[in-house]
Amino acid sequence: MNNLKLAWRNLWRNRRRTLITSASIFFAVFFALLMRSLQLGSYDHMYKNAIESYTGYLQVQHKDFWDEKIVDNTFPYEPELEQQILKDANVEAAIPRFESFALASNGPQTKGVLVMGVDPEKEKYLSGVLDRMVKYHLSPEAIKKIKLDAGIPDKVKELLSLFENSAYTNAGRLQLDLGISDQEAPGLMPDIERYCRFDNGRIQMGEPGVWVGHKLSQYLKLGRGDTIVLISQGYHGSTAAGKYEIKGIVKLPLPDIDNKIIYLPLDICQTLFNADGNLTSLALAVKDNRDKAISGTLERIQGLIPGDQKVMEWREMNDVMVSQMEADNKSGMIMLGILYLVIAFGVFGTVLMLTAERRREFGVLVAIGMQKKKLASIMTLEMFLIGLLGILAGALVASVLILYGVDHPLIFKGEMAKMFEDYGFEPKMAFWPIDTYYIWQMVIVGIMVLIAIGYPLRKIFRLKVVNALKA
Amino acid sequence: MDMIWKTAWLNVWRNKVRSLVVIVSVSIGIFGGVFAVAVMNGAIEQRVDAALNDEIAHIHVNDPAFRDNYDIKLLVPHPQQVLGTVRETPGVESLTSRILLTGMANTAAKSAGVQILGIDPPEEKEVLQLYKTTIPGTGDFFGEDSRHYLAYIGHELAKELNIVRFQIDQEVLDSLAAKGVPGEVLKKLSPFSGQRFKSEKSFKKEVKAVLSIKEQHAFGAVIRGEAWTFRARSKMTLTFLDREGMQTGAVFRIAGIYDIKNSMYEMSQVLVKKEDLAELAGIGRNDYHQLIIRLDDLESTEEVSATLRAHLPGLEVLNWKELQPDLAMMTEMVQKFYAIFMVIILAALAFGIVNTMLMVVLERTKELGMLTAIGMNKKRVFNMIMLESVFLSLVGGVAGMIISQIVIGATARKGINFASYAEGLEAMGYPAHIYPAISTSFFITVTVLIILTGVLSSIYPALKALKLDPAEALRTE
Amino acid sequence: MKTKHSFPAFILLSVISCSMTGQELSPKEIIRIADEKFNGEKTSTSIMAMTIVRPTWERTIEFKNWTSGKEYALTLITAPARDKGQTFLKRQNEMWNWNPTISRLIKLPPSMMSQGWMGSDYTNDDILKESSVLNDYTHELVGEEEMEGRLCYKIKLVAREDAAVIWGHQIRWIDKKDFLFLKSELYDEDGYLVRTETGSEIKRMDDRLIPTRIELVPAEEEGQMTIIEMKEMKFNEAIQESFFSQQNMKRVR
Repeated sequence: MNNLKLAWRNLWRNRRRTLITSASIFFAVFFALLMRSLQLGSYDHMYKNAIESYTGYLQVQHKDFWDEKIVDNTFPYEPELEQQILKDANVEAAIPRFESFALASNGPQTKGVLVMGVDPEKEKYLSGVLDRMVKYHLSPEAIKKIKLDAGIPDKVKELLSLFENSAYTNAGRLQLDLGISDQEAPGLMPDIERYCRFDNGRIQMGEPGVWVGHKLSQYLKLGRGDTIVLISQGYHGSTAAGKYEIKGIVKLPLPDIDNKIIYLPLDICQTLFNADGNLTSLALAVKDNRDKAISGTLERIQGLIPGDQKVMEWREMNDVMVSQMEADNKSGMIMLGILYLVIAFGVFGTVLMLTAERRREFGVLVAIGMQKKKLASIMTLEMFLIGLLGILAGALVASVLILYGVDHPLIFKGEMAKMFEDYGFEPKMAFWPIDTYYIWQMVIVGIMVLIAIGYPLRKIFRLKVVNALKA
Repeated sequence: MDMIWKTAWLNVWRNKVRSLVVIVSVSIGIFGGVFAVAVMNGAIEQRVDAALNDEIAHIHVNDPAFRDNYDIKLLVPHPQQVLGTVRETPGVESLTSRILLTGMANTAAKSAGVQILGIDPPEEKEVLQLYKTTIPGTGDFFGEDSRHYLAYIGHELAKELNIVRFQIDQEVLDSLAAKGVPGEVLKKLSPFSGQRFKSEKSFKKEVKAVLSIKEQHAFGAVIRGEAWTFRARSKMTLTFLDREGMQTGAVFRIAGIYDIKNSMYEMSQVLVKKEDLAELAGIGRNDYHQLIIRLDDLESTEEVSATLRAHLPGLEVLNWKELQPDLAMMTEMVQKFYAIFMVIILAALAFGIVNTMLMVVLERTKELGMLTAIGMNKKRVFNMIMLESVFLSLVGGVAGMIISQIVIGATARKGINFASYAEGLEAMGYPAHIYPAISTSFFITVTVLIILTGVLSSIYPALKALKLDPAEALRTE
Repeated sequence: MKTKHSFPAFILLSVISCSMTGQELSPKEIIRIADEKFNGEKTSTSIMAMTIVRPTWERTIEFKNWTSGKEYALTLITAPARDKGQTFLKRQNEMWNWNPTISRLIKLPPSMMSQGWMGSDYTNDDILKESSVLNDYTHELVGEEEMEGRLCYKIKLVAREDAAVIWGHQIRWIDKKDFLFLKSELYDEDGYLVRTETGSEIKRMDDRLIPTRIELVPAEEEGQMTIIEMKEMKFNEAIQESFFSQQNMKRVR
């Protein structure tokens, strides 16, 4: 106890020195926590967007479906089962889907297409097909009207021909393409939007009709109100064939999908494939998407479903993305390692200088009879206290920043941002809230401090009083 | 003035520990900053690397309506002329032409819908590196001369069509024994001897059923490796519609299997020789559907695309950002992430150096007090301290540059790679490599910045030191 | 052409091979005769039922079929109700489909056949009959066995190097009396059995004997097969080429 009191008093004896030393530790912890929070948060957000925009984290499927994605490998949609699944603590929603391939024809032309039978309300939790509805179309008529409007500058009019026939799901992208800045937007956009507003139809369960990708509609030269024919192989080898009215146009950001996508209401799609009541997958939206939560949910749901179905996890369904995640994680580790290197030397350097500065002091103490052991233990306690001070202060300030950051992520503005909106992504850099990584970072810095203490201790034990007094 | 220089210099050498601390701080700072930037560049490159180097290259040129439905009739008009124009465009490193058809691939047991790419193998190698991913022993990417039609397919397709099979027989068991798989495990596997598995899935399922979890983790990967079989030059038919709309096709022999860990690509893309495909489909020898272009420098993508568009008005010119907008977008987002990480690292650097400098000067309080007490001009004291900082920062700077160069040089060639942990039978395969890279201008910028930080950060403590009352300073312990 | 018999005897016998009673036929000749019986008629008109058997379900489709040589074929589905009225037309290498429910005629690309015709085990290749048992294989007589109470030639066909077939080899049993294909085993290049086709219920149809029940069994799938039953068959009725047309697809009953 005596030693502790001595140590404490020593700290405040030379405040500047104490502050500088603990500052180096403070910065170490602060930056380590900040970086880690941003790493975890940003990558999580980025991949979350990708996963949630299509496959979702978990899907219930027929056990053979993933290996052979044919209509015969569908499973019946049981409302009671769905109720049970929805009762699970981590499940937010269950999104039923029927996906397959078909030939689409407008008469002379046929093209292979992706058919997606969806429940548009439930899709809000995932791909948000309703957000994909075209809102604006730069049709030749619309362009004519815009050109006639004297209030619109020439530079915009010149760009119109480049984007003839383009379709837009949001005004932001339209604004971007036409080169209109954010300042000019409020004055110009309302009129432009009015001229090229697209009258789209709604998807509704029970109503026959299809929604066609914009590029596909352009290729087949079919628009709203036209008829499209779909032919495929249905359940148990039967022929799937149907004629539908095109009720609306959607736009998907990936051109390779936009030129072959057709949405139908789920029940209409099931009937087309002679598989009424069946699904190709039941995607689950979860509340907590961390690994442990997901695997727990997977196990629980697996226990609820019959033996001929299984639960697929997002990693199995997104192999390319998973390998990319691995790579990102590794490079993130390297960056973190570099940070550690930098902050470690910050701490060591400071402690080194501290030791040098106090050499004479040590010499005097030993000369007047203090045992080296005692000096060492006081020194250790001092460093321990400084370390504690620095770590706690660093964690505290970092926490304030991180807590603020969780609600106010770093938002990217500008051109890139508008392109992201097309994908339904939020271009932001998110913070990961206080979590277990805190402990790790503090422990690592703590270890750095412990190692750093070794230097002054060594110096004490090898101290030659005569030399020290001369310092 | 002269004396100040001399004194400063001597001071530097007088207290080795102190000088070393500053030098090391600065050089670590430079190394940290430079290496971080290099890793950042490497990681971003690696992101796009696979897609661009193996699959799509940088720019595609084709008929404007071609990609809508891959209509065989939409060949590029004036093919030779277009080739010439593209070749002469600055920034273009290499190019190759392709024929594309959609069709069916069939083997005795299975069938699959595929996209057939008719390529020119030597040209293709200049533009894409897919051929490097050939599974050893499966073929030579059209290297061998053959009177048969040859096809180069993806690993996933090979498994799907049962061209690649999983099989356990005595030979396999013997090889496993030679590789150190223990007897009990081999005993569990021997009931399968002589058996050919229906698919990879059933192989995994049946083997997993007889082995314990521990055994799976320890030996799964090697069992899978030995059970993997492929008969060289297996037969596969490709059927497609020719130019007249008539169904045609032929038997192809497998001339290699590629593995790029992109199952979608592997399942659908089948490569054959352009001349073979042209012959079967009734297309002229010099005609093609698409030009695939590789650029000298990824950064010049936008520029070269614009040039090509201007020179090829009737054709569609798409660069990789337009072909795979999600890839481009994710990459840009990640670039922004890294920029912020860099800011954090540089901030930590700066604070670290400032901190160290503060401590360094603090240590000299007594000494400086002494100097002032004996009458040294405060301005001179200040200059002396600054000069020392400059010396030390410069030395640290040079040391830092050397260390950085060495480390980057070493890792840039071999790449940084962590062994990806294998999950027994589910082993993912090749781990991701990161190749750090930094441009000279960046390198110099970072170095200069850090040196400046070292110098500037000593200003405050130096000023502080001057304000000291000499008497008090002398009393300091 | 391989034969175990002496050369001069072969020459003599090949002359009288058309009498179809020759014991000393070359294996290639045997195949040729059987193939012609099966495929070589000028035209055929038939009513058939195809049952698709799977581990968890079973489905039967009934249809009328008209063929002319190997080049032309027209199929009209008569049952079940869901598929009734659909017609398929094969003209050389093209395949067309008419669907009355949606009143559309479309040309079928190769990819539509990936799962077998109407979900059966008959593949695109079977339908378009691209390969020739005669020209794409070498033939060897490997024995004699009894099938369906009839003595049969057992012939091994090995695919030629350059032939456009994906089978490694086949073994066929052809009955000595009427030259009917009673059983075929199809093997891949590694020598594993992939498919077995057996003919049974030999009955008289029109002017000849044919197996009226054919079972197609994939070897590596459990509980899976396709069964064709021929209810009626007439040969060499006069059918105009115009019968095999797109217009007729919509009219035929």
